[in-house]
Amino acid sequence: MSALDRCLNVYDLRAAAKRRLPKAVFEFVDRGSEDGIAVANNRNAFEGIKLRHRALVDVSGRSMATTLFGKPVSLPMAIAPTGAAGLCWHEGELELAKAAAKAKIPFTLATGAMTSMEKIAKEAGPGVGGRLWFQLYVWNKREMSYQLIERAHRAGFEALIVTVDTIVPPNREYNTHNGFLLPFTPNLTFTLDIMRHPVWFTNVLMKYFTTIGMPRNENYPDEYKRLNRNDPGSYELTRQDSLDWEDIRIFRDKWPGILMIKGINRPDDAVKAIEYGVDGIVVSNHGGRNMDSVVASVDVLPEIAEAVGERLTVILDSGVRRGSDIAKALALGAKAVLTGRATLYGTAVGGEAGAFKAINLIRNELDKTMAYTGCRSVDEVTTDIFFGGRQGNRLFDRVMDTV
Amino acid sequence: MASLDRCLNVWDLRDAAKRRLPKGVFEFVDRATEDHLAVANNRLAFERIKLRHRALVDVSGRSVATTLFGKPASLPLAIAPTGAAGLCWHEGEMELARAAAKAQIPLTLSTASMTPMEKIAAVGGRLWFQLYVWKRRDLSHQLIERAHRNGFEALIVTVDSPVSANREYNTHNGFGLPFNPTLRFTFDIMRHPAWTTGVLMKYFTSGQFPRHQNYPEEYQKSILSGVGSRDAMRADSLAWDDIAKFRDIWPGVLMLKGVNRPDDAIKALSYGVDGIVVSNHGGRNMDSAAATLDVLPEIAEAVGDRMTLILDSGVRRGSDIVKALALGAKAVLTGRATLYGTAVGGEAGALKAINILKNEADRTMAYTGCCTVDEVSSDIFWGYREGNRLVGV
Repeated sequence: MSALDRCLNVYDLRAAAKRRLPKAVFEFVDRGSEDGIAVANNRNAFEGIKLRHRALVDVSGRSMATTLFGKPVSLPMAIAPTGAAGLCWHEGELELAKAAAKAKIPFTLATGAMTSMEKIAKEAGPGVGGRLWFQLYVWNKREMSYQLIERAHRAGFEALIVTVDTIVPPNREYNTHNGFLLPFTPNLTFTLDIMRHPVWFTNVLMKYFTTIGMPRNENYPDEYKRLNRNDPGSYELTRQDSLDWEDIRIFRDKWPGILMIKGINRPDDAVKAIEYGVDGIVVSNHGGRNMDSVVASVDVLPEIAEAVGERLTVILDSGVRRGSDIAKALALGAKAVLTGRATLYGTAVGGEAGAFKAINLIRNELDKTMAYTGCRSVDEVTTDIFFGGRQGNRLFDRVMDTV
Repeated sequence: MASLDRCLNVWDLRDAAKRRLPKGVFEFVDRATEDHLAVANNRLAFERIKLRHRALVDVSGRSVATTLFGKPASLPLAIAPTGAAGLCWHEGEMELARAAAKAQIPLTLSTASMTPMEKIAAVGGRLWFQLYVWKRRDLSHQLIERAHRNGFEALIVTVDSPVSANREYNTHNGFGLPFNPTLRFTFDIMRHPAWTTGVLMKYFTSGQFPRHQNYPEEYQKSILSGVGSRDAMRADSLAWDDIAKFRDIWPGVLMLKGVNRPDDAIKALSYGVDGIVVSNHGGRNMDSAAATLDVLPEIAEAVGDRMTLILDSGVRRGSDIVKALALGAKAVLTGRATLYGTAVGGEAGALKAINILKNEADRTMAYTGCCTVDEVSSDIFWGYREGNRLVGV
């Protein structure tokens, strides 16, 4: 029985990924920022929602299938943009994208990916039934960002997701403690870490060295592919603290496909997004990786969903580890969720097969949750399955609603 | 002093059971599902309810006795249906049934039990039969007719298990029912020679390895024989029409187990059901499930006296019984508590678990000034309960 076969949930995959990856890579994937408060709070918010069994509904014909932006998906989930899949597995982004295509859910490629968007499009794109979304960190030199999205459009990406919650680099102190800098900068701490993980060193790093050399940000303009955050030139490229709504207007003009904004946490911002012609928002706190004091995304979801109604597609991420989390997000107004870490853990343990396993574990858990709560389709998942009533963004017990 | 004598509460019995049983068996009994949020929350719900001493009531004549469906029970407790008593002790279900009969409380035999119902019926006492409905309904109907012929007074249809639960630890432990030979479980067994001798070898030498004795012949498999027919077990099509049918063919007391919503409880009434068990399957099915004690009050409010409410999931102390009664239950079921006892001492262990709970319920009633179970109300609570919530002091 392989390590992957022994993994029966996302936490098992996490534990296996932890054994396999160098500490620095694992922590880059797994941890949040500063004191890890936001990450823990995202989980608490999901776990605090209690559901009720619904008795005696014939659920034998139930289905988790839904549509996102008018096209079918096999479950209400898509792969979140992440920068480290290529360090979890050799060409990990491609593995993850293939798993998503096979599972019939969309895959989001990050600006900071280590695989070129053309390669992803060729091997995991619409040609093989894949749906591809492209995530954009807007650069200070806007012209380069415009060129990048044009390239994404040509490559067949159906949606653009502009990340708006990362205006300054987050305070991820552990990366510095671990000697982990992207791209790699030689240091003794990280070297010793790598040496303790010879399997990873052989199967991931050496494979890059013997083929393409050091993994690079393949979607960056040529002069920045070997981006180094210590280099003042590249900081100038990547700084994003001037991003504002005017940029969204321009992206809306230039991007003919589906446009989403990722990192919306406020109803007023969500309503503004509608005014700018945005098609969808991702209610996200970046997996708790940016602002450590941030509120749980599942806690802010209901008031945002209420504010926008049916006018745009609301997607949630940050903290999804179990299929029941998806049911809870749907009940509170999301149309789907994104998973970042969950599928990265899977990728780290088994490449495409591991990512596929992560998706299927979550799928199976959602199916059980729907069966227990008597929901035959995702449209039937509402706060009626909750114990206690939700008012705004808070869970109140039934009686408190009337007191 | 035998290890049973050193057990003074259910937690002691649990510890002793943990030492005695192979890890695979113990965890099958003790653990729940996924991240164990539901099982922890069930306990929290009981533990956060605070009671007040009542001063100067003469409670010398107090009694924990009650009636359930018109017949006496020595305390408001019955044994929940469980599938593993036969692995806790050699012929553990018989031991548990004898203990229940001796303690004068009802015993529920599970569909998945390893003892034929005819043998249990010979023990006497008050017997209830729990039903998992199979895909082939005719076989389920035959089964309950068999239960009726054998004198079971009540039928409990489980309605919270449309799909199998996600119990990952069983796979990690190499433990499954039916048994699949795995190296991991073999090593586990080898570390527990007393259990191997006292339980497993006794089955081997008697040539009667436990089987699902109440399954129809075609489904009945020795638990050594590999995976049974999953499709046959599929219950996700179970619906209210089935309940109408059961009501027609079952002349005795009919209960539904796993009702968690007031609307479902009211619907059960309209189908002529006599009682419901407010249960989340001991937290073993849906890990996000609300605590049964938290959902009980609004269900009790919805159905009033029109049916008998029973609660399970999380009862480990006699005070829990008193709290459940105060919130509208007529009785509780215990699953794990009496299984721990069975694992430690067979009939004597199960009886000890029952008596521990009885003694604790008795003390709680005395402290709160209740002479009879009818006097137990939310008046003994600290704080003000309205519906399902403690709203203030």
